[in-house]
Amino acid sequence: MSTRRSILTRALAGAAFACPLATLSLAAAPAAASPDARRFVFLILRGGMDGLLAVPPVGDPSFADARGPLAVFNGTPLKLDSTFALNPLLPQLHAMYGQGEMAVIQATGLPYRERSHFDAQQVLESGGSKPHELATGWLGRALTATAGAAGGLKAVALETAVPLVLRGPTEVDTWAPSALPDPSADLVQRLEAMYRNDPALALALARARGLREEPGMGANPQDMGGGMGGGNNAGRRAAVGLATKATEFLQRGSQVAVLELGGWDSHTNAATANGPLSNNLRTLDATLAALRAGLMPGGVWQRTVVLVATEFGREVAVNGNAGADHGTGGAAFLLGGAVRGGRVIADWPGLAKKDRYEGRDLRITTDLRAVVRSVLADHLLVPRAALDAQVLPGSAGLGQLDLLKA
Amino acid sequence: MNRNPTLAALAAHRFGLGEASLATVGDDPQGWLQSQIGPAEPQRGDGLASGVEGLKRYAQFLQRLQAEPRAAASAADSMAMNASTEQNFAEHFRTLVQADVRARLGTAALSTRPFNERLALFWANHFTVSLAKASARGIVGAFEREAIRPHIAGRFEDLLKASTHHAGMLRYLDNDRSAGPDSTLVRRRAGRALNDNPLIPRGLNENLAREVLELHTLGVAGGGAEFGGWGGYTQADVTEFARVLTGWRVPILQLIDAPPGTATTRFEAAWHQPGSKTVAGKTYAEGAGALDAVLHDLAQHPSTARFVCSKLARHFVADEPAPALVARLVDAWQRSSGDLPSVYRALIAAPEAWAPQPAKLKSPEEFVISSARLLQLGEGAFTRVPDGGIGALGQRVQAAPSPAGWPDRAAEWLGPDAVWKRVEWATRVADRVGRGRDARALAQASLGPLLHDDTARQIARAADGPQALALLLLAPEFQRR
Repeated sequence: MSTRRSILTRALAGAAFACPLATLSLAAAPAAASPDARRFVFLILRGGMDGLLAVPPVGDPSFADARGPLAVFNGTPLKLDSTFALNPLLPQLHAMYGQGEMAVIQATGLPYRERSHFDAQQVLESGGSKPHELATGWLGRALTATAGAAGGLKAVALETAVPLVLRGPTEVDTWAPSALPDPSADLVQRLEAMYRNDPALALALARARGLREEPGMGANPQDMGGGMGGGNNAGRRAAVGLATKATEFLQRGSQVAVLELGGWDSHTNAATANGPLSNNLRTLDATLAALRAGLMPGGVWQRTVVLVATEFGREVAVNGNAGADHGTGGAAFLLGGAVRGGRVIADWPGLAKKDRYEGRDLRITTDLRAVVRSVLADHLLVPRAALDAQVLPGSAGLGQLDLLKA
Repeated sequence: MNRNPTLAALAAHRFGLGEASLATVGDDPQGWLQSQIGPAEPQRGDGLASGVEGLKRYAQFLQRLQAEPRAAASAADSMAMNASTEQNFAEHFRTLVQADVRARLGTAALSTRPFNERLALFWANHFTVSLAKASARGIVGAFEREAIRPHIAGRFEDLLKASTHHAGMLRYLDNDRSAGPDSTLVRRRAGRALNDNPLIPRGLNENLAREVLELHTLGVAGGGAEFGGWGGYTQADVTEFARVLTGWRVPILQLIDAPPGTATTRFEAAWHQPGSKTVAGKTYAEGAGALDAVLHDLAQHPSTARFVCSKLARHFVADEPAPALVARLVDAWQRSSGDLPSVYRALIAAPEAWAPQPAKLKSPEEFVISSARLLQLGEGAFTRVPDGGIGALGQRVQAAPSPAGWPDRAAEWLGPDAVWKRVEWATRVADRVGRGRDARALAQASLGPLLHDDTARQIARAADGPQALALLLLAPEFQRR
């Protein structure tokens, strides 16, 4: 493992290099497939996933002491490299890692360093450097930045409203399962006439109608269950159902999909076998496997990048209830056939108390915006000037990470 | 007839929950609103569970699971159970939860004080206790009835204290499980195996402390610059406040045979962190008294006035309320030391609140309640489906996804799918009740001068009664307020 300081110095110097744990370079973007063949999925884990529970640094000498009951797992942690393992409840993700399709980014996080879920999620989705600096989302602005003669990328959110990350000048679709009957075409036409003086309602209605006119796309997949969010059994079925639905959209021409999984804000008994986080990890594993399975036909998976991120990690120390309170640094996942996986990307700061942020949290050593920026540049081919100015303002100085297969 | 029909329509729809006829409002719309201010009316419904009864029901479930202590442990604090336990858990509470939902919605559908009812709904969302977390199951309705509704027309400080002290909040935000790191309880257990009993804490849980500061009182630093800014605490203050909160607990297993009227919370000194604590620069003595002293100071803090008043203005008037409007509310708050009726009266008197152009999109819950009132369906709207379909529209009643509650900006409700679901819902309702109703007359009577000619024409030209009614429910004038 390289030391944090040496890696940082080299990254700042902009030198291209590679080592087992960290690979930062300014290598030119590969351009294997045309942009409209590429697929990007952003999965938001709301509530602050404990990155030290999901990707335990079992080789860090301070790990067992620092985490106490949260260093004890239900099963053997799945080895990634000499320092890191995956939580045993993520076996399918581990298989993807073994096939070189999944990379972990550890000790990552936002420029935001406070511990409010709501502000942190605002920063995660807006792409700003502080809360409420930007009122639209980085992915929404990226759609606009790639809009050329071809009309730009088509995006869908698997929820009823447009999540902040997708808000911007470009209109996007939303979809959620429904138990209600479809309205008549005649009524919809009359509504369109009635909404002439209300552009916001008119636009939303027109997009919803357009989506449902594509054959089969309005229908619910089987076994959708209730809403998404929550690691319980009904929640898992719903999450897998939505992931499968997302792959239908991606198979049929949407290039970008956004999903979310809630329920990560557990302050108690995080590691118990049926504890809240354990079940959430199972749901995450099943959801990502469903995405992969649904994108395999036609080789779409090979042209796909999935970014899984949360608003912050948890405190290193265990709280009074064998859980962990809000922290800062955490973990993110990058997966898909287009990802140069099979590695943990980490400028690992260590878990010793002196190495923690404010003596408390895993220190952030990789700005999550660098990950987002690199994927947008290399995969969705967002022009660098647009990344600097509109999509991720203030991110120009972040190193370009070499994340994708050449 | 109304002397000022536009003001009457705004009073009915923007401040209230919609009326079938503006005659209800009368000639003095502002007076109509002011006369409603007071403690919220008792909710409709027989045998609604009190806090004690909700907790007893929870304790009974834990007792049933005693053969499976691990399942009991996880059921005690999370939605994490195996499938059959999960199903049993849902079944165990189904009748109670459905009664709570029906009580909330039926009361709103029939209230003759709809402005006051809107305030009760606003405060229940500000102080969210949600079914999304298992530990709050059975007590969400009781929390609204006991902690929120009686206190909406007093001082903010008293509402804050009622919320923070209630068993629902203590359980929802894990305070029930927080112990001082140097408390008698934790010191006694030092040296034992780490996992010997996951129900006994080994130190702090700062969940409630943080959310009281961030969501209920001061707001988070850096926010609200246009209103004078809020915030005023650090991570150290969160931890210190968490120490103040240690000891405030819900003895749930001891409530299993409790008679009605038994206290649901108590201060357990053995759990309390010894020593004085310093929160936001002020020092508080060890013991039970410190919590109310901290809450008093938080309630008086200028950040709290600005943060809470901006939320109130956003809820009633505009997604991005005018700073001048918020300043009026803050001024009323500060002159009265947070007397809520004074703030409500300032809202009613504010010219910004009466701009004729609607600036708010109704939330799904407001849309369904106002439809029930428009169609005078009463509690019948919630007989077959307890939430009247609000969950299908994207807002599970009493189950907000986080302690921040439901969002209050149109962008959060205006996705294509969200609008489509409203169309589906309106179609279904109109098919059921649209025959024999004259949507044209209803539109005039309810919306008065807010009804645009174009909308009136579309309704008049509809193919049949149900379609005309669907158009009315989906009209911009009815979707917005």
